[in-house]
Amino acid sequence: MSPKLPVIDFEKIKKVHDAPLEEFYTSGHRTCQGCESALVMRDFAKASGPRTVATGATGCMYVANTSYLTTPWIIPWMHTQLGAGGSSAIGMAAGLRALMRKGKIKKEKINVINFSGDLGGGDMGLSGISGALQSDYDLLIIMYDNESAANTDIQATGLTTYGAQTTFTPPGSKHRIMHRRWKKNVAAMLAVGHPTCRYVATASATFPALDFMNKTRKALAIGGPTFIHTFDPCPKGWDFHPAYSRELGELGIKSGIFPLYEIIDGQVVYTYDARRKGRIPVRHYLEKQGRFAHLIDEDVDYIQKQVDVMWNEWEVPGVAPFKAGLQVAAR
Amino acid sequence: MIKRVEVNYRGIFQKMLGKYIGSDIVQIATRMGKVAFSNGRYSDAPERNGIPCKYFAFVSPDLSEEELEAECGAKLDIDEADVSIVVDDTMVKGVEPWGWHGVRPINEKVREKGCLLVVSRHPHDHLLQFIGKKPYSYRLATLEGGASLAGLWVYKDDLTRERVLGALAAVDPGIIAIEAVEAYLLDKTKDARRAQAAREAYEATLRRTRIVTPEEGIDWPHEVPILPKWHEFEETGVVVRSVPRGFQLGPRGQARNDAFKRGTTKTHRPVVRFDLCIKCTLCWLDCPDECFDPTDDGLFDVDYEVCVGCHKCAAVCPIPECIVMVDELKFTDDKSPWEAYTKSPQAYIEWAELKKGKERIAYPHVTGQGVNITEGTTVPPKVAAV
Repeated sequence: MSPKLPVIDFEKIKKVHDAPLEEFYTSGHRTCQGCESALVMRDFAKASGPRTVATGATGCMYVANTSYLTTPWIIPWMHTQLGAGGSSAIGMAAGLRALMRKGKIKKEKINVINFSGDLGGGDMGLSGISGALQSDYDLLIIMYDNESAANTDIQATGLTTYGAQTTFTPPGSKHRIMHRRWKKNVAAMLAVGHPTCRYVATASATFPALDFMNKTRKALAIGGPTFIHTFDPCPKGWDFHPAYSRELGELGIKSGIFPLYEIIDGQVVYTYDARRKGRIPVRHYLEKQGRFAHLIDEDVDYIQKQVDVMWNEWEVPGVAPFKAGLQVAAR
Repeated sequence: MIKRVEVNYRGIFQKMLGKYIGSDIVQIATRMGKVAFSNGRYSDAPERNGIPCKYFAFVSPDLSEEELEAECGAKLDIDEADVSIVVDDTMVKGVEPWGWHGVRPINEKVREKGCLLVVSRHPHDHLLQFIGKKPYSYRLATLEGGASLAGLWVYKDDLTRERVLGALAAVDPGIIAIEAVEAYLLDKTKDARRAQAAREAYEATLRRTRIVTPEEGIDWPHEVPILPKWHEFEETGVVVRSVPRGFQLGPRGQARNDAFKRGTTKTHRPVVRFDLCIKCTLCWLDCPDECFDPTDDGLFDVDYEVCVGCHKCAAVCPIPECIVMVDELKFTDDKSPWEAYTKSPQAYIEWAELKKGKERIAYPHVTGQGVNITEGTTVPPKVAAV
């Protein structure tokens, strides 16, 4: 079993005016104008505080943040390979535990946070993250999901929305829809299969305000291996003006295309319950992005239908796609 | 002999434009019997929205293809340019595409008697208050027009491409001739309007070109850092230092990455009416570039050196006219606006309203659809009694 460590008593940030003022991820990164993933970095660093080490798998946020011998990180960070997010987090946590056991460093809680992109975390590094979530180490894995391999100019991944234009899936005159895969449901998938992982959440950096910072704190306070999936509108790849990156996140959540929830010890808590609060048509979300400019009404209706099924027919709406309930097989 | 052209463009927003201009120059020069090729600067990849980037075209009347490529092919940057094209005029304030590059003058590569060709609505003298001095004379030409901004998947067909080709023929006929430009456009597009646009731009540019003497321009205020050489690295290898921790309330109170400020990414900057602010913190909370500095009176100062002009603060601000995005070329310094406001609220508000002017810009959601201009209202100051 893991040794008992003192815990940081993370406070819930109740009002925007209570948000910590100091930055641990600061200006001087090479991200796009209006980058939401940069806000994910800023917010998790702000929420977790100075006793944090970050490891970043290759991707937009690693390359933009550590190019040419400069970095915006104030907390210690380490770069790891594209699929190695989970294993680097385990290695970091194990190393710290060993140093503390041997008395080389003071016994205290040091937050180990890995950030991986949707390609590094949801596709390529999935096995490593799965391994990390089965361990008993204290670590948090944040998958920042901008729905593409954005660093290399927007290639489709398993988390790209159905129908989107990417470098891999350009719409043509013969085949309008080249991306025919439905977005992979990574957070729920990891929650289902990893009983060691006591906290899984989905979040957006800006909507609702403070929500992501509080989820980061909750994950760190609960301890053990934890996972957060964030939804980051990407002005470059989704093709919208940077001014609207917050609005797009809000629309994505309100239209129900990206469900916001936490799973704490197996219990699902909706952060934004689209069944109770109602959903806006997905059209409002899709029409504001150039990557969906080629869709016709039929495609929008199809996406709407899939989202409706997700909220109306799934056993756990927005989370788990089991439908008919439990049935005892007739023998 | 090699003629070198560089196209300075805004990353992603003008990626297609830069690439098309480069490839057009190659095709036109080839039709004129010259040898040419074009390429982008490798180190600009991956491009980010708004980052200053470069595309090159090389033309030679006498070298073979192999010789030209050996001379210009695998270079990070060129040493000198016969023509530097700038397709967004806010880049005349300097360009800093990545860390350890420094903010460098836009005319850095322009050679003696070469030409800086800027797409701009501003007169030459206005542009020269931002451009650094050169030790020799060169030419400055302007092509009337606004920055043609689009997106990664979008090319905005507003004739900027054709007009730049016409203007290039005017400033250096040794690279491409206007007749060849017209013939190429007619052949390729079968659209007389495009050839016509190139010809009109050619004639206008002939009239709008002037010599810049070594006395003109400003003393460059930014230092260019010197990148450590491989043998100067520490014995343990390359160490990338974290930013030292530091925070206090007030302007520039947050420790920041000094080696890369990237303020040259912006085309507009937020002008804040501090008197209207309700201290909701949203601009600060939602800024992806951490450029707002909390102050002891609950307001948020802006560090314009690190602001990249994403328009997000103006979009989330709930108070009309409190944060307004204003053309970057209206400003000559990056001083703290909050300091100016606390020193003299009334003078600051007057200054802010003057800078804001009447026009308010708003971009449609999907890129490449132009810009909407509306008339703003002037809100009376709230601190008149103070």
